[in-house]
Amino acid sequence: MGDYTVFHLMPWSGAYAIYFFTIGISAALFFFSTRSWFPTGQALVPIRTSAAYVSFALLAISGLLLIGDLSQPMRFLNIMNPAYLNFASPLAWGGLNLISFGIASVLYIKALKQNDEKNAKFFGVIGSLLALGLPVYTGFDLTVHQNRPVWNTPLMPVLFVAMSLVSGSAVAAMLAKGKEAALAKLRWHMLWEGGAVGVMLIALLGTTAYGGSGSELTFILMTSGSLGLIFVGLGILLGTAAPIAVLLTSFGRQHAGILAAAGLLLVGGMALRYSILIGGQIVQTYF
Amino acid sequence: MSELRISSIETRGVPGKKRYAMVIDLRRCIGCMACQVACKAEFDVPLGVFRTWVPYKVVGKYPTVRKMFMPRLCNHCDDPPCVRSCPVEATYKVEDGGFVLQRYERCIGCKACMASCPYNARFMLPRHRSYTNITSVVDKCTFCHHRVSQGMVPACVQTCVGRSRIFGDLNDPGSEVSYLVNTLPTQVLRPEEGTKPHVFYIGADRNHTEIGRTIYDPSDVMNAERVMFEKNQRS
Repeated sequence: MGDYTVFHLMPWSGAYAIYFFTIGISAALFFFSTRSWFPTGQALVPIRTSAAYVSFALLAISGLLLIGDLSQPMRFLNIMNPAYLNFASPLAWGGLNLISFGIASVLYIKALKQNDEKNAKFFGVIGSLLALGLPVYTGFDLTVHQNRPVWNTPLMPVLFVAMSLVSGSAVAAMLAKGKEAALAKLRWHMLWEGGAVGVMLIALLGTTAYGGSGSELTFILMTSGSLGLIFVGLGILLGTAAPIAVLLTSFGRQHAGILAAAGLLLVGGMALRYSILIGGQIVQTYF
Repeated sequence: MSELRISSIETRGVPGKKRYAMVIDLRRCIGCMACQVACKAEFDVPLGVFRTWVPYKVVGKYPTVRKMFMPRLCNHCDDPPCVRSCPVEATYKVEDGGFVLQRYERCIGCKACMASCPYNARFMLPRHRSYTNITSVVDKCTFCHHRVSQGMVPACVQTCVGRSRIFGDLNDPGSEVSYLVNTLPTQVLRPEEGTKPHVFYIGADRNHTEIGRTIYDPSDVMNAERVMFEKNQRS
């Protein structure tokens, strides 16, 4: 009581979580589309074109979201100015990654439309590597801030890759409609990648709970505090554990079960990204 | 100091270079907030944001109780995370002097520097200002670079009635800041972050400068203030 402090705003608002969500799905959909050209991904042929188009649409939305969140939107061009670029910043790499992924996507879609298998494979592989860079760089965006609980862990880029694949396979399952082979393949993806996210969340909770006063407080806020319902309720229980449980049952092998699990994974993916983004910032606003 | 230096950006102890620092003697601070006002006047700092601010905490238990003032500002770190995180080098460190400054015309407003600063020293300028046309970019304390480069001390130091704030070149062994840092026990904020801050405190208690548990269960007064603050910031 009687304390006085100047409050501070969270620099990164919830809009960034939407960006993380859409860019993750875009990257994974591109990967699934490319995979369909190779023998191990034949089951994904039915979603090849739709996944590529949705990926590109989400990439465009993500770019607009990112630019719109800048306080000087027109200066996004500065990030393409070689005289200004600071390669110590993950954001600089991210900007370049986004642009190159956009170019690779256009070339891939062009080859896809012309049914040019050779070029589609080539640009697909290049684009998939760049797509992998998108969740990796978004993870690094958070990881590099050494003062932020939850964010500052080497787990973050890997977690974002796994979350990207989970959310992407969920959207791909929706695109697959009644194609049994594609759904079976995507069910497998959702199950294992969802499991990987679950394991990483346990590790994240452990390191946060034992990470010093700021981290400990963040753990409390994320589990039983203001973010508890979103992080634990929607993110872990409803959005990760429940869909895995559904997929393991016989219902989870049916079309409706896979779609239900996909819907839950998407809710969980958004909730996890939001709570990780905001959770790392709450405590700092009081410092 | 060489054993502490791990990156080429660091200038403390480098011969022939200046490394400005501030010492804040908390025993002398009376919480008059004149530093805050002087800074606002010097830079036309808008309402709701601060380059320097003086939070306080009531410590102890009646009758042995006091208000602990904690003047805050950019720590002009020797290894500043904000400089690393800026994608367009809008934030940079002046090699001779150690000032961490901002290029307003280059800032894209991604707020990565704000996220990386452990001291909350950075803020976003509002879209509309009455007398200054620098808007919608990140701003912060400059250690009054424009004054120091002309041989003056920062405005907050100049105005401090209790001489609580002392400013000078830490690389000059004859300076007052060198004397204070070398002969008295000083503390810096959040040393565990490895930023090597160059604002030193005399008389700070780490138990009170750390993030406290009150955050989890803030008083109604604090919450009401917070709601009002955020409303003002967004309007």
